Order: sequence, then C-alpha cells, then structure tokens
Amino acid sequence: MDNKDKLSEIKEKRKEWEEKVLMPSAKRFGIEKSPTEFYTPLDIADFDFERDVGFPGQYPFTPSAYPISLVPRIEKGAKPGGLKRAGTYSGYGTPEDTRDYYKQMAKIMYTGGPNLALDLPTQCGYDSDNETVEGEVGKVGVAIDTLRDFEVIYEAFTGEQDLDRIATNITISAAANILVAMYIALAEKRGINMAKLRCTPQNDILKEFVSRGTYIFPPRPSMRMFRDSVVFFTENLPGVNITSIGGYHIREGGATREQELAFSMAIGIAYLQEGVNAGVDIDAFAPKFTFNGFGGSMQLFKEVAFQRAARRMWAKILKERFGAKKQDSMRIRCPLSAHIGCSSTTKQRALNNLSRSVVGAIAGVLSGGSPMAFPPYDEPLGLGWSLEARQLAEDATRIVMYETGMCDVIDPLAGSYYVESLTNEIEDAAWKGLEKIEGIGGAVTAIENGYMQRECARSAAERQARIERREELIVGVNCFTEEYELDVTTSKIIEHPYSEEKRYDAEKKQKANLAEVKRTRNNREVTRLLKELESAAKKEDENLMPLFINLAREYATLQEQCDVLRGVFGEWQLDTFV
Amino acid sequence: MDNKDKLAEIKEKKEEWEEKALLPAAKRFGIEKRPTEFHTPLDIPDFDFLRDVGFPGQYPLTAASYPVNLVPRLEKGAKPGGLRRAGTYSGYGTPEDTRDYYRLMAKLMYTGGPNLALDLPTQCGYDSDNEIVEGEIGKVGVAVDTLRDFEVIFEAFTGNLDLDKIATNMTINAPANILVAMYVALAEKRGISLAKLKGTPQNDILKEFISRGTYIFPPRPSMRMFRDSLVFFTESLPAMNINGFGGAHIREGGATREQELAFTMANGIAYLQEGINAGLNIDAFAPRFSFVGFGGSMEFFKEIAFHRASRRMWAKILKERFGAKKSESMRIRSQYTAYSGISTTTKQRALNNLTRSVIGAVAGVLSGGPPLAFPPYDEPLGLGWSLEARQLAEDATRILMYETGMCDVLDPLAGSYYVESLTNEIEEAAWKELEKVEGIGGSVAAIENGYMQRSIAKSAAERQSRIEKREDIIVGVNCFTEEYELDVTTSKMVEHPYSEEKRYDAEKKQKANLAEVKRTRNNREVTRLLGELERAAKKDDENLMPLFVNLAREYATLQEQCDVLRGVFGEWQMDSFV
Amino acid sequence: MEKERKIKVLIAKPGLDGHDRGAKVLSFGLRDQGMEVIYTGRRQSAEQIVNSALQEDVDVVGLSILSGAHLTFFPKVVNLLRENDAGDMLVIGGGIIPDEHIPILKEKGVTEIFGPGTLIKDIGDFIRKNVRKIA
Repeated sequence: MDNKDKLSEIKEKRKEWEEKVLMPSAKRFGIEKSPTEFYTPLDIADFDFERDVGFPGQYPFTPSAYPISLVPRIEKGAKPGGLKRAGTYSGYGTPEDTRDYYKQMAKIMYTGGPNLALDLPTQCGYDSDNETVEGEVGKVGVAIDTLRDFEVIYEAFTGEQDLDRIATNITISAAANILVAMYIALAEKRGINMAKLRCTPQNDILKEFVSRGTYIFPPRPSMRMFRDSVVFFTENLPGVNITSIGGYHIREGGATREQELAFSMAIGIAYLQEGVNAGVDIDAFAPKFTFNGFGGSMQLFKEVAFQRAARRMWAKILKERFGAKKQDSMRIRCPLSAHIGCSSTTKQRALNNLSRSVVGAIAGVLSGGSPMAFPPYDEPLGLGWSLEARQLAEDATRIVMYETGMCDVIDPLAGSYYVESLTNEIEDAAWKGLEKIEGIGGAVTAIENGYMQRECARSAAERQARIERREELIVGVNCFTEEYELDVTTSKIIEHPYSEEKRYDAEKKQKANLAEVKRTRNNREVTRLLKELESAAKKEDENLMPLFINLAREYATLQEQCDVLRGVFGEWQLDTFV
Repeated sequence: MDNKDKLAEIKEKKEEWEEKALLPAAKRFGIEKRPTEFHTPLDIPDFDFLRDVGFPGQYPLTAASYPVNLVPRLEKGAKPGGLRRAGTYSGYGTPEDTRDYYRLMAKLMYTGGPNLALDLPTQCGYDSDNEIVEGEIGKVGVAVDTLRDFEVIFEAFTGNLDLDKIATNMTINAPANILVAMYVALAEKRGISLAKLKGTPQNDILKEFISRGTYIFPPRPSMRMFRDSLVFFTESLPAMNINGFGGAHIREGGATREQELAFTMANGIAYLQEGINAGLNIDAFAPRFSFVGFGGSMEFFKEIAFHRASRRMWAKILKERFGAKKSESMRIRSQYTAYSGISTTTKQRALNNLTRSVIGAVAGVLSGGPPLAFPPYDEPLGLGWSLEARQLAEDATRILMYETGMCDVLDPLAGSYYVESLTNEIEEAAWKELEKVEGIGGSVAAIENGYMQRSIAKSAAERQSRIEKREDIIVGVNCFTEEYELDVTTSKMVEHPYSEEKRYDAEKKQKANLAEVKRTRNNREVTRLLGELERAAKKDDENLMPLFVNLAREYATLQEQCDVLRGVFGEWQMDSFV
Repeated sequence: MEKERKIKVLIAKPGLDGHDRGAKVLSFGLRDQGMEVIYTGRRQSAEQIVNSALQEDVDVVGLSILSGAHLTFFPKVVNLLRENDAGDMLVIGGGIIPDEHIPILKEKGVTEIFGPGTLIKDIGDFIRKNVRKIA
C-alpha cells in the first residue's frame, strides 16, 4: 500500500473515531466545542524527513544546531566537582563592587568569564556625573565611564582567568563598539594580543528600537556603527563574536511567537546585508554571528516547535538568500534553546517560578538544546537574585541534565506529528510576517515608521485582555487566588553578595572615580582625539573602531564619545507609537 | 519513491552524517564511545500508525486511555475556585484525629472523598490492643479496628459529602474485603444502598508479596479472597472498583521498568483469571479493574514510552488472550500516567524534589494523561507533608494544566521516531519477561518460589551500585555535594494540621476506643459469627463477603476475623530470597 | 448641562529604562475603560513628566519603572507636583518594586503601587475610586 492509500485509510478511520469515540466523550465533559486535539500522519501529509528534518548540525538544522548535545558529560565514576557553574548576568554598582562580587562568586565555584550587566546610563551613552541620570548610576548593572573601570573590574580576572583564557559577555548595544575598544585597550595594557580575545558584545541595536529601549542614535547611523564592528571584528578580532541577536527581548516586549520570528529574521537579514555591502564574504563573517536567545513562554510545545522553525528558517535565509556555503554560517549559534522567559514569572507566590523554570528547561532539551532553568525564582521581586534562588535554579538544571536521561538524545520529538506540523505552521506564519516587513522596505524602515513597535504594543495589549478575560490563565494571578492558598517562600540562609549599603553609596563613589580620572588623564590629547572622531564620523566610509581604541587608551569617557556622535548622527526621536 | 527506497536513502545519508559530522564532534568533546543519539525513520522501519498507535481511547490504546484529556477545563471567564483540590493520601492516629484532619482540610478546599492511609497493624490484620504491634498504632495511617472507627472517620463526610456522593479510596490489600464490608455496613446504617457506593480498595495482594510486604495469608488463599471480592463486587457493588492495582510499588521496590511491566501484567492476568474461573464474563468485570499507577522514575522519555507500552500491552492481553469485546475492558483506567516516583526524592536539598516532581508531571502529560506533581517535596523528611509543600506541588500541577497549553493535545509525541521505537523496545522486553513468568507457572507460582522477589532485589542492588559508582547521578547525593552548595528550605507558615501531641497520644486513645467497643457490643453474636466464618472459610467455593458484612455490623474486630482465617489459610512464611 | 469630563491619565516612563510593554498595555487598557490617556514615551525626566501633567491638566499620573530607580524618581515627581499646586493629582506607580519599598513610596506621597500581574481592571477601579473630584 503506498503512502497515499495509507493516508486515506487513516482519514477514514479518523472520521469514524471522531464520530463514535471522540465526540460522545467530549460532549460528556462539555468540551465538544474544542475537544482535546490529536495529531496523525494526516497533519504532515507532505512530510519528507531529509528535507524537513535532516540530521543534527546539518542543513536545514531542524533537529539541532550541533550534531551532539552540548551538555557536559559527567564521566562514569568521575567527581563532577570540575564542572563549572554557569556564569550569570551580573554587574553591581561601582567597578570595585563588581570586581569584589566576581571574586566572591569564584570562591563558590561560579567561575568563568563575566557576563557583564551594565547600568542604564552606560547603555544609553551617559557618564555617571551627568545630572540627568541621577538615581540610575550602578542600578541594573555596573557603571562604566572609562577604561579605568574595566581595569578595576578585571582585577578579578587574572592568571588562569586572564583575558586570553576567558570569554566576556557584555550586554551593550548602542555603544558596543566603544566598550569593545575599551576591552581591547585593556588587553593591550596586559600585553595580550587582540587576536586572542574572546568576547560577545550584544551589539544588537535594532531590537532596542523595537522593544528594549537603550538606543542612542537613529537607526541608520546605528547600522553604520554595526557595519564598523562587522568589518573590524572580521579583520582583527577572530575570537570575538560580532553580535548576539535573537528575538527574546522582542517577545518580552509583547510580540507573538510569529512576530518575534519574523522580526528577528528581518533584523538578522539587515545585519548580514551590512557585511555584504561592505564587501565582506558571507562565509567570512556569518559564523561570528551568535544568538542570545529566542522566544520564552510557558507554551511548551509551541516553544519547542518555534526553535526548530527558527533554525530551519535562518539556515534557509543564509543558504538560499545569501548564498552561504559553510554550514557554520547557517547555524543558529546559541547556548540555549527554548526557555520560559522572564515575563512568564509571577510576583504572586513567587516560588512557583521554580516550577515554571523547570518547564522551560525541559522545553530546552526537547527543542534540541541544553536545559536551563531560568530565571531564578525571585526574578520579579526586584531585589536581585538571591543565592538561594540561584541554587534552586542551578540544581534544577543539573537534575534535568543528569537525572532524566533526556540529554542523551537530540531532537527527541523528531517525527512527532504534532511537533512537525506545529514547526511547519510557525515557520509559514513567520515567512508571511517577514514578507510584510520586506514589503515595507526591511527592518530599518519598519522601525523608522514604527511598524514593529506598533505591532508589539498591539499584541501585548491583546494578551493582557485575554488574561483579564481569563482566556489565558496564570496561576496565582488570575486564578487560584483564594485566601486559603499559601505564598510559600524560602528561608534566608546567607546574605546577598551585593549589600544594600554598597547599593546606596555606589553613585557617589563612581562620581568620585570619574572625577579622579578626568583630573589625571591627558585632557589635551582627549580633546584632540574627539575632534578626530568628529571628522571621521562625518565620513560614512570611515571605520571608527581604531579611533575608539585610541580614545579608550587616553581614558576618554563614554559620554564624551557619544556626545560627539550625537552631534554628527543625531539622536533617535522617541516615538510613543501608541 | 516507495518507503523502502526512502529508508535506504536515509540510511546512506545517516552513515555519511555519522562519519563527517557526528564522530568528529563527538571526538572533540570526548564522547565518541557514546555520542548523543538521534533517531530517524530507520528506528521504526515497520511502523504502522493504525496498528501501533491508533486513536486515543481506542484499541490498541497506545495514545491514551481516553479520547479526551481528563484535565478539568476552566471555562473562559469562569472563576476557577469551584475546582476541587486533589484529595490526597492521608490518615492520622485515631479515627477522631483523621476525622478532624479531613474537616480542617475541607475548609482549605481539599474536598472530595478520602484517600485513606491505614496504619500497618490494620494493613497486616492486627488490632490496636495487640501487644506485638505496640508503637505502630496510628503511625503511617489511621488505625481501624471495627466499624466504630469508620463511623467516626466518616463523621467528616455527611450531607453533600455523604457516602453516595463521594468516592473513597483505601490502601488496603490483605484484609481488603473486611474493610469494604465495614464500609458497606456503615452505608447500611446511613440508609444508603450498596449500589450507590463508589470507591476503590487497593486489593492488589500479589504485589505485596513482591515488594510492599503487607501480606497476611499465603498467595493461594489470598487469591481466593480476591475472587470473593471480584464476584461480590460484580454482583452487588457495581460502582465500586474491584482493585486499584499497578506496578508503582514493584518499581519502588527496585524492579527495572521492564520487570515492573512484566510482573504487573502477570499479576493482572492472574486476577483476571480468577474472574474467568468463577464463571464470570470478562466484559462484566474487567472494566471495574482500576490502576493506581505505573512506574515512577526520573527517566523522562522511558517513563513516557513505558506508559504507551503498558496501555498497548494490557489492551492486547485483554483482547487477544481473554477475548474481551468492550473497549472499557481493555483500557488502563488510571487517574494518572507518568510521574517521578517516591524513591527518586532526596532528603538532601529536599526542595529540589519540587523540580523532580515537575519533570514527572510534564512526563505525565506527554505520556497521554493529566499532570501530577507528586509527591510534595518534603516526602523524604518523614514528618508528613507540610501544607507548604502541598501548596507548591498543587500549584505546579495547576501551572502545567493551565499555563503551558500541554493538555490541549493527547499523546503529543505520537510519531516521534525516538518515542515510538522506545515504546516498542520496552513492550518487547516486557513480553519476554512475561513469558518467563508464565514458564514458571504464572504470578502466583513465581511468587511462591521467590522468583519475582529475587529479581527485584537484584535489580535494586544493581541500581545502588550504579549510584555508588556514579554511573547514575543524583544531584546533591552523589554529585554536586560540595560544601558551598546551599540547602534551601521553605519558611514555615502554618502548623501541620496533625499535631505532635496527637501523634503521641494516639495509641493510648485508640486502645481505649477498642476496649469500649468490646465492652458494649454483643459478644455472643460475634463469637457465633466467627464460628460461622471458620466453617465457611474451609469451603473454597464459599464467598466470605456476606459474612464479613454480618461481622462488621456486630463490631467484630479486624484481627478477630483475620485470626480465624489465619487458622484456616495459614500465614505467609516470610522468606528473604536473597 | 455640562457633559461629565473623562478621567485624564498621564502614563510616563521616567529615567532610562526602556521596558515599555507594561506602560503601553496600561495605556491601551485604560483607554478601553473610557479614560483619556496620554503616554509620554521613554526617557522622561521628572520635570518633563510634571510639565506634561500640568500642561494637559491630568487627573492621574502613572509612573512605570523596572530598573530600580523608583526611590529617586517617584518622590521627585510628587514633590514637583506639590510645588506647582497640583498635589491633588493622583500619583500611582508600577514596575518591579520590592515590597519593602512600597511603604517608603507611599509615605512620600505615591498613592498606590501596582506590581506585575495586576489586572488593568483593578487599576481602573482604583483610579475611579480615588481620583480627585472632576469639576
């Protein structure tokens, strides 16, 4: 019997089952309008294993970006103490505070390179002594004004942890090139060749316009800055990733799954095009694109299918549109796959966020990646992650990794009628969304005219309305909220490594640090170089990276450099789009 | 291209991929001896959807026992407060203590019928005034000596919760018939017809010999008791389940997945055969078999495949071997499917058990049933579940039910190459083991000669040795145990509903209760009925159920009845079989 | 007869924090409840917010911050409003605000803090109940 006959037989049997078995039962339970779904070969009638799934780490990358699971094996009988704890997003107050924090964390085996969180003034190109940012210095991350601040932070990273041995992540987009230049200047001072540096600046400015909000310049000059990094990194920083893109922030900003995928693909295309326009070979730079994460919701299967669809879509774009030849160019390089995202956590009965994060970690494995129970449960409480919450999250990740056997198999759902058809569905919808954006003129135009921002805001409002109508349920928020439910919390065991006192003093201290730098540096040279920056910025072809390095060496501040660029590029006009 | 050619092509491509992509990557990460697995259509070359999976609620029942998911729907916009909390396994100290406990819990909306935990003297057929069980009265469950004790417990169940409106579960095996008779007598006193009683006695004596240990009589007379309930229930208690059997206890006792499945199926066959031998039609009683649970481990996919395999195997046994005609006879009727189990919990860093239970609950949904985050995390701490732990477990279950969208689709992994092949593998191994048991002469013979007990003791020892060699990893037990790891606990918010004081006084109080019963009942009538019981027990054809009901009415004690039967049936000689 | 004026709300994002999902969602939601909503957009100083509030003569000022700078910004807005004889405008706040900070903010004149998970319906009810009498 060939496939077609087989399918028509299944179809017939399915109809019979629906009539005689499903519907009577659904009626009995009062769910005849939306009975439980069940997927069969009929839902993927044109399925072709090699074309649609293929093998892990090979085009079209549906099962996984890599041929093996990246979960570190605990060798039989080996003591797993050597396994490092995951480096986590952190940065607190002054550079001194952050240095001390990393030193303390290393003692409890949270080792490896830092994943630096920066305060908002730094992300938006302001110095700590600027009056308009009072109250924000050292909040949400560490303050960086000059090279001096990197020098201090990295006192925690020497010897075995020197800059040629660790990888640094920096969550910085608008001012990414200026911070990378400071990192290079620091390496120079330590006598480390920049070719040996490993680092990932986020450097994903377009999503800042769509959702996260730490932009400085308008989209087009921002893209010129991006081009400078593509070209400079490709030539001089082979161990540094150019960007860490992804739709995670767009989703957190309210986008639907399909919008997120379409928007981040459109944004990725815009970045790739910058490299191509600059005359760089696609296979020379595309492998240095990384991804910091896609998606994030409680919808387990949809997130799993979403990751599979994202990998397939990116691979097609690289191969078919940009003519990439190397597999490395087509791969979504990302340490993680599915997860729940921060916006799925609730402040109400916050310890339930541990349960939620476990669902995300499972989804991660099921989507062809490594598990990560994230975020720590106290994320929405606004006090920084406690070590207790981090312990629980980390143990949860380890349990999924080592107790469940889940990570022995890659893409374990390959072939599932439900997951394969959901993957197709999400990919199809995203292609449609992408076409729309390309009709508008691509990502930059769709940001300039506010299309992406409006779409996100609209989707966020729709979701909120569904929550208020209880069409979407959140346990402890819009259901199961009776007074007899208990808000269970954990006992405090140890102090948070960053104290309240330090938090209080950080702004004053960092202002003093900056004043001292300004007093002792060669101010004439700084002024001269800033002039040079101004004239170079005016020439569209000029690559500003070498100048940023010179400025870093002379302890020019972040804002001094950004102010020059503001003068040339202009500032992005805040548009509310509501 | 037909299926065969297609497979040959996939095979070729797979070999190429293994050579060029998989092995180089595996070597780089030092896992070439056991690289991550990836499954393809080659793993299920003879797969036939209709034969191997079929539709939910229909033979071979692989997909699910029911055509719809049994998770209660929260209607759009409806207030979900009406949803009852799950009734949980509980019983404390004296009947008075247990009555008060259920009343208190009802105030917290833990309503519905009781799931009675009984103390060990009750489960083993001893009264509270027996000196040899001193110290065990009211521990691990409530003490039940006579009808009087049921009268007291069920004072918490009247009106809307009267016996014709609730379902009562009792974890009782060896003297199951005696306790059911007490329940029947209680209903009579309340003027409620037998036909309206709903409930489930565990009544699964064979697994007590294999692992759990609360047997009284030898296997063969125990099976005669089982036959009595089967016949009496079928004729007189149409709404009562005959048993709640399953393999969870066998697994917890150390059996492997395959042993558990084989032994449970063998036990099921033995039980079914009792009904057939008594001349009943299979479709008249098989639908009243229910299952308390199968499996329980952290091995996520194996547990999922195991449930699919067990449903298919049971269906085949009923249809092919017993000639059942009705779908209801072939179905594994169980409230729950996969879960993480009790023996996987750890006392070390106990809050991690919440994570473990969430993994189990996700597996539950993926294996075709509702989720159950179980047990509460403080299970291994030995103090009874705190309300805090229950809240977290319950919220976790609700999150999976209502936030993840998982329960919208039944058997979402149907078609997955990995899961389908794993399902086949587990089923085949279980058939082989079942054949072995049947070669010995079936369950009863395999218990009498100690085969099953030895098998699981061996498996348990092997598992322990894998843990000690760190081949099986348990987070916080044999790895990640460094001194800097934190043991996070929850803050105590409310008192446990069963106080320490009560626990202390229970034994004395229950002895007084029993003395009072013995003082006031018609002792002559009791003695007369016990004599009658002895005569009837000696005749193998006689059904003892009506006599147990008469004895219950007269407040004969459990041990008085069991002692008579011990005299006739003998006692099971404890054999260590190691 | 004069028609009853709509309640007028200014939703603002003080400081550099760009997480505007909540602010936008609230703007849509209150508008759907019949209020007139003005959304300032991101990166507003306290002075800018107060100027907009005075210029538009709003009844309610809603401030959203997720970056931890609320102890600086919220009281600043309240004080500036008071200095400009607009102390009767209802000031409410939202975002990621630790519970310990809520009494501090209330003492400094913020009427209520709404954390994540609050229903917009409830915020609307609160505004209607507590807003100054509309002439």
